[in-house]
Amino acid sequence: MGHFSVSVMGKDRPGIVAEVSRILYELGCNIEDSTCTILSGQFAMILVVFHEKPMTTAEMNPSFDDVRQKMGLQVTIHSLKADEVVHDKSFIGRPHIISVYGADRPGIVYSVARELARRKVNITDLNTQVVGSKERPVYVMVLEVDLPEGIDMKELDVVFDGIKKELGVSISVRPIETLEL
Amino acid sequence: MAILPILQFPDPRLKEKSVPVTGVTAEVSAVIDDLLETMRASPGCVGIASPQVGIASRIIVVDVSTHRRGGQEENHGLLVLVNPEILARGGKQLVREGCMSVPDYTANVQRAQWVLVDALDREGKQTILEAIGFEAVAIQHEVDHLDGYLFLDRVSSIKTDLFRRKRYR
Repeated sequence: MGHFSVSVMGKDRPGIVAEVSRILYELGCNIEDSTCTILSGQFAMILVVFHEKPMTTAEMNPSFDDVRQKMGLQVTIHSLKADEVVHDKSFIGRPHIISVYGADRPGIVYSVARELARRKVNITDLNTQVVGSKERPVYVMVLEVDLPEGIDMKELDVVFDGIKKELGVSISVRPIETLEL
Repeated sequence: MAILPILQFPDPRLKEKSVPVTGVTAEVSAVIDDLLETMRASPGCVGIASPQVGIASRIIVVDVSTHRRGGQEENHGLLVLVNPEILARGGKQLVREGCMSVPDYTANVQRAQWVLVDALDREGKQTILEAIGFEAVAIQHEVDHLDGYLFLDRVSSIKTDLFRRKRYR
């Protein structure tokens, strides 16, 4: 009995979700949480599944050999301890959106993420894209973050001003104003 | 008074249409007290409707005065609305909504900017009031509960408007 994380990656094509969910169903796993995305034609999915009976990753792994070979998927399974699986979602916190954009150049993500990590800011979502024409590519990054209580916003502004000048990007930080009903 | 447990989707009672009450009786008054206590016991919560606690009567409670942004807009403070009916709507706004009955998601929902509401107040007196901004959103969200609608019914795109809550305690 226990939880497992399953990650699946490979070239996108129809039928990946069907095959992966069939295998999990036949193994007797219940899909509790999942998300997927496609990046530059690469399909990626992560699932948290639960199995009622004792089961090891070694017992689960061979079931995926077929899709590994036929569909070219990388499937990785990890066993999760009970205290690693969190169900309780919170209504508290100070969620913010940080949007960054500018001419494409290396180091934009790192410069911003480094400063956030130094201030114990948790990044809960990150999307980056290159948009615009080939001649004038524009790099866009949108981060969802949790700002800890007591963070010095003025100091963060000063630091971001430095990054703006150094990398020639725009950075704005806005609170996500969720109405809890 | 009691803090009542919140029903969560897919509980079928959340999809039912609630019925009007005949007036603010002692029984209705007790429900109002429980709704207030339940709302106040939930961090950040600015509104609740009776179907969320399994009572299929048309009663809602809203108070956006404690909200960071809602509190800065024009608002009525604590609003108890019995048999509320939205008589008119105007304008549009897109607001990120969360709901105790759909705890895993938040969503951008398009709502009217202004509403005109007819209801009985806490004393059972007929009243007509206007609400704008976040207070108007809260009223529309709660009245939706009385008709068996959740914000999921109002989302136009799962891809761009629905957000999985990622924050954990």
